[in-house]
Amino acid sequence: MKNWLLTFILHGLFCVMAVQSACAAEPVQLRILYLNDFHGYAEPYPSSGHPEKLGGAAFLADEIQRQRENHSTLLLAAGDLIQGNPWANLFEGKSTIEWMNALDFSAMTLGNHEFDFGVDVLNQRVRQARFPVLAANVRGLPSIQPYVIKELSGLKVAIVGLVTEDTPVTTHPKNVKGLTFSPVADAAQKIITELNNRADLIIVLSHLGFAGDIQLAKTVKGIHVIVGGHSHTRVEKPMKVDETLIVQAWEHAKALGILDLTIQERKVIQYDGRLAFIEPEKGKPDPVTLEIIDRYQKKAADILNEVIGEAQVDLKGKTSRSGETNLGNLVADILRQKTGSDLALINGGGIRADILKGPIRMNDILSVLPFTNHPVVLKVSGNELKDIFEYGIADLDGTAGRFPQVSGIKITYQAAHPIGQRITRMTIAEAPVKPEGWYTLVTNDFLAAGGDGYVTLKNILDTMDSKASGSTQDNRVLLFDSGRPIRDIVIDFIKEKKNVSANVEDRIKKED
Amino acid sequence: MRVWLNDKPLTLVTGMKIRDAVNQAGLLDEIEKGSKVFDEWGNEVGLDGVVENGCHYALKKNN
Repeated sequence: MKNWLLTFILHGLFCVMAVQSACAAEPVQLRILYLNDFHGYAEPYPSSGHPEKLGGAAFLADEIQRQRENHSTLLLAAGDLIQGNPWANLFEGKSTIEWMNALDFSAMTLGNHEFDFGVDVLNQRVRQARFPVLAANVRGLPSIQPYVIKELSGLKVAIVGLVTEDTPVTTHPKNVKGLTFSPVADAAQKIITELNNRADLIIVLSHLGFAGDIQLAKTVKGIHVIVGGHSHTRVEKPMKVDETLIVQAWEHAKALGILDLTIQERKVIQYDGRLAFIEPEKGKPDPVTLEIIDRYQKKAADILNEVIGEAQVDLKGKTSRSGETNLGNLVADILRQKTGSDLALINGGGIRADILKGPIRMNDILSVLPFTNHPVVLKVSGNELKDIFEYGIADLDGTAGRFPQVSGIKITYQAAHPIGQRITRMTIAEAPVKPEGWYTLVTNDFLAAGGDGYVTLKNILDTMDSKASGSTQDNRVLLFDSGRPIRDIVIDFIKEKKNVSANVEDRIKKED
Repeated sequence: MRVWLNDKPLTLVTGMKIRDAVNQAGLLDEIEKGSKVFDEWGNEVGLDGVVENGCHYALKKNN
């Protein structure tokens, strides 16, 4: 009996070894499907240069199911999935993860925007996910894994996650408190050494940007494939850098990436890659995804229609292009208060609607602030403030949208004076602005980049360039919170205060 | 960080997007007209894609 059992076990072992050996020796085919930078875009939409609608999570899901048929397949996501569009944001990414669970994703790496709701929410999303969430270069988050090994068709496939080292300077500091982001090349090299030939194929699931992926491929040897994100790059054919293939599938579910590999003895001996563009007019929606989208859209409609507070007076915003408005003052006040800045500046053209006295709904705020601008706090000199506001009041008929809506500063001017010499007095906290003094100014990313012609703000970034390079932020940018739109800050303020009111206070006053 | 759009050097903050580069170059009107942005390898990039230090981009009219 014992001999029979031993023979049986040895025979079984021999068979397993034979299969494994055959797998190592014979070519094995694997299909990788991939998605990046979804940002909660559940619905198809027309984008710049593409007037036809593209994308849609239900149409993408149907394409995924089609591409899976008769193939050994991995489905990967390269970061920035849970934040962006209200369909995701209103549920702090829960809707996106539910959809990804339904599609049976194989793995996902963290993107920088996965941190935008804070670590607690991120941990909830990781617990919700029925797939591994990866990031090998982040320490302090026990819920995530550096890598995972998947077994398919006898192949051991290692999937390593990497997220941009710039994450701490592109989200609010509180969102990454206690976390460490180490250099990506070091983290990747460490894992590859650790794997020590335990994997037949090594895939890096990266959220570094396309140029970052190229750099990684040049620096770290042994990576077979980099599936990337972050730069929203439409890579129609895989790029080969040395022995590493680099792919990325554009953005917002407008394309599904498909990479077919033939692997033999831990080498990719053949590959073919392409993007399948998601064209709703030609496709059909996946019913399971459609149900998820509709359910969350209904919930979203209810949330957007909820009363979040009460306007004690009519809040006028439509005339913000040509003069001070009480709604402009309110938004600027909120921004200044929430960032602890000396003063706030927003462009009048960014305020698009009025709010009438009475209940305020979230939808009202989306109408007032339709753009997804986010706050930027800059260190600005008194001389620069003079230039900024001279420019701001140079267009008093208000066609260009640059009229400054402000908080924390009072300005008087003479309209009859030549452009550039109109300001007669500026005070901050009742004290005259000192030309050589330094002040903290909160504005939005649009103006900080020189939007509406605010060249002085753009020049502040230029002055940094001589000293700063790469990912190091100079200390003139005190906050760059790309994860929280200004409208969300305003919504939270109104929810907190319940009753809001504002007046026109001659913050920018014309002298007689 | 320094990037180039149509060979024009631009200085942007880490984390800024292609849209910010186009805005700083004063070319948002071209986007409204349907132009697209491409990276130095000839790939189209989305306006919400992050700009990468040292990279060259080109705004091209939609054909």
